[in-house]
Amino acid sequence: MAYRVMLIENDRLLLEQLAQAVQSAEGFQLVARYQSASDALGQGKLFKPNIILLNIDNQDGATLMEQFTRVYPEAAIICMSEHSQAEGVSSMVQAGAKGFIIKPFSAEELKESVETFAKSGMEVSSHVMTFFSPKGKSGKTTLIANLALALGRRTQEQVGIIDADLQFGDMMAFFNLKPKATIVEAVHEIRYMSPVTLNSYFEKVTDHVHVLCGTSAPNLIDRVSIDGFENVVRMARNLFRYILIDVPPGFTPTSISAAELSDVTYVVTMLNGGYELQHTKRALEIFKDWQDYDKRVKPVFTRVTPCDIASQRRLEQALGEPVEAVIPNAYQIVSEAANNGSMAVDIEPDSELSQSVNRLAEKVIGHHHIRWDKP
Amino acid sequence: MAEQQETINGAIITYFSTASAVGKTLVSINSAAELAREGYRVCLVDFDLQFGDVCNYLQLLPESTVADVQQGIATSGADCHVEDYLTPYVHEAATFYVMASPLKLEEAYNIKTAPMKAMLTQLQTLFDYVVVDTTSMFSELNLAVLDLSTVVIFLGIRDFFPTIKNMSIGNETLKNLHYDQNKLRIVLNRGDSQSDIPMGLMVKTLGGEFYHILPNDFRVANESIKSGVPLVLSHEETKLGQSLRELVYRSTNQDYAPEDESVAEHEMHGGFLSRLFGGRE
Ligand SMILES: Nc1ncnc2c1ncn2[C@@H]1O[C@H](COP(=O)(O)OP(=O)(O)OP(=O)(O)O)[C@@H](O)[C@H]1O
Ligand SMILES: Nc1ncnc2c1ncn2[C@@H]1O[C@H](COP(=O)(O)OP(=O)(O)O)[C@@H](O)[C@H]1O
Ligand SMILES: [Mg+2]
Ligand SMILES: [Mg+2]
Repeated sequence: MAYRVMLIENDRLLLEQLAQAVQSAEGFQLVARYQSASDALGQGKLFKPNIILLNIDNQDGATLMEQFTRVYPEAAIICMSEHSQAEGVSSMVQAGAKGFIIKPFSAEELKESVETFAKSGMEVSSHVMTFFSPKGKSGKTTLIANLALALGRRTQEQVGIIDADLQFGDMMAFFNLKPKATIVEAVHEIRYMSPVTLNSYFEKVTDHVHVLCGTSAPNLIDRVSIDGFENVVRMARNLFRYILIDVPPGFTPTSISAAELSDVTYVVTMLNGGYELQHTKRALEIFKDWQDYDKRVKPVFTRVTPCDIASQRRLEQALGEPVEAVIPNAYQIVSEAANNGSMAVDIEPDSELSQSVNRLAEKVIGHHHIRWDKP
Repeated sequence: MAEQQETINGAIITYFSTASAVGKTLVSINSAAELAREGYRVCLVDFDLQFGDVCNYLQLLPESTVADVQQGIATSGADCHVEDYLTPYVHEAATFYVMASPLKLEEAYNIKTAPMKAMLTQLQTLFDYVVVDTTSMFSELNLAVLDLSTVVIFLGIRDFFPTIKNMSIGNETLKNLHYDQNKLRIVLNRGDSQSDIPMGLMVKTLGGEFYHILPNDFRVANESIKSGVPLVLSHEETKLGQSLRELVYRSTNQDYAPEDESVAEHEMHGGFLSRLFGGRE
């Protein structure tokens, strides 16, 4: 199927330049071009565009989006701007835009954008989850890796992992990735990025799971600003249906800002026969400042033996609140998979670990639908 | 002896790692306890500010913490006496003092490095040994503590590959701090634990031979944590307890000799061991 593009750009010269890019892009047909939005709204229909490239610079973007989505409900609207503004973009996306592209663009960039947006859609309904743990070695990286795979497999949607455990991120090792770029570069360059360029910073694990890898050395942490990090997460919302964020242990600027940006924060604790439960309780107390605490914060325990309802109830009783999931002791298979960098393929689907992770995945998918389908 | 007194600055022994749950707290508690048992004046500082375990593992309920020290230094500067904020740990003849981590997470989050450095320096004038428990990351506080330390004991563990990678990165980073070679000592905890990681790779990862290797005994370790009594003070003789003692003797430059002689030696030093071995008093 060819893409039938309608181009709206107020600047005459730029319109010319962009038109050429569209025409030379393979599989794209330029069916109409306008300098004025009013013309495009009134006349473009005759040419049945299925992609609308719409300039939003110096325009009332919200009104434009409202009019174009009404007149062209079937077309995918991609906003064009000279600047990348993560926040502006997300409001356009809320208003119904399928994507965003920085102009001017080349034929290649256009193709890549449209392909990306076709695959993921610019999701308004991206669901962001942070995995917090009071102390290290909670099993959270393991949980994130396996949950991401399960979500991708079950929903066939795009799942992104952001490794923001800035000093000692392990995702790279779990999946044996050799990233060209990491969170350091992404955060550094986010101001000049569009969702499409950000997408190229994620490494592919499977068709559905991609990872933004952590830093390669602990001292690089200084180069990751909280502002930049937050913008990466916001922009990633345009690329993935589910986003899972790994953060450093304890309350740090990174873990706090990730939790604040997230729809749900899982507080993950591994049972080791020490004082883990006390630490978890103290951590949960902090989150209780949030009004919607019950919906946004969910405790998870790992290395639970026996991993059954009775154990879960015992933990709930000790904690005084519901426990979202219990994950069994799976040291052997987890270590083997991570040692080989083969977390993506090595965990058997009918293992006790997979089963408990799948149960959690079902809950995530369920919550997500409730949250977005019945606002 | 001349009465005019030089101030004597005690040694700071810091337990550090770049992997979590490697035994920093367990080993630092046992070091403090062992040195106390030998008759030294010892203070154990819990710099795992947010989720410190020292008072948990020792079953102490501190009334003051480093947060109060910070407050004290803010209001009275050099007139703040850090010894007023200590919590004693007493078990039979051994006594040492604990500088506890904050009770509230908000306090922990707001601890500043400068007053903590001042606190450590003051503690050095009061104690023979200041033992410091840390968190496994390169925070501003940890870096300041590493700088001030006399000896840094980097704890490693045979865990899965990502952990090995983190210990290796940690070691490289420490090397770049250019401390004297003999300030940094690498100790392998749970050395004989089950692991797919070969010992050769462990040695290579951690950059050099191990200064000491502690055995793996989860039952004994966790019972000690639950009972609130450090292994080196326990009446039960265990390999782990013995090995912890050995580590302490070595890292404080006492010649360690196997059992019998060490008993004799330590009777001279204060006679605490006789109680442990029973009937020799
Ligand atoms: N030599 C050992 N053999 C068996 N178990 C051990 C050994 N050393 C420590 N452990 C156990 O490992 C766990 C972690 O120990 P500990 O709390 O001292 O580590 P830590 O480095 O202080 O952890 P954290 O980074 O969470 O503060 C405890 O359950 C302890 O009992
Ligand atoms: N469910 C589990 N049961 C037993 N061991 C586990 C489990 N999940 C993880 N582990 C082990 O615990 C250690 C830390 O796991 P990891 O996922 O890296 O935790 P974190 O990211 O919180 O540090 C690893 O050795 C891993 O193999
Ligand atoms: Mg991790
Ligand atoms: Mg500890």
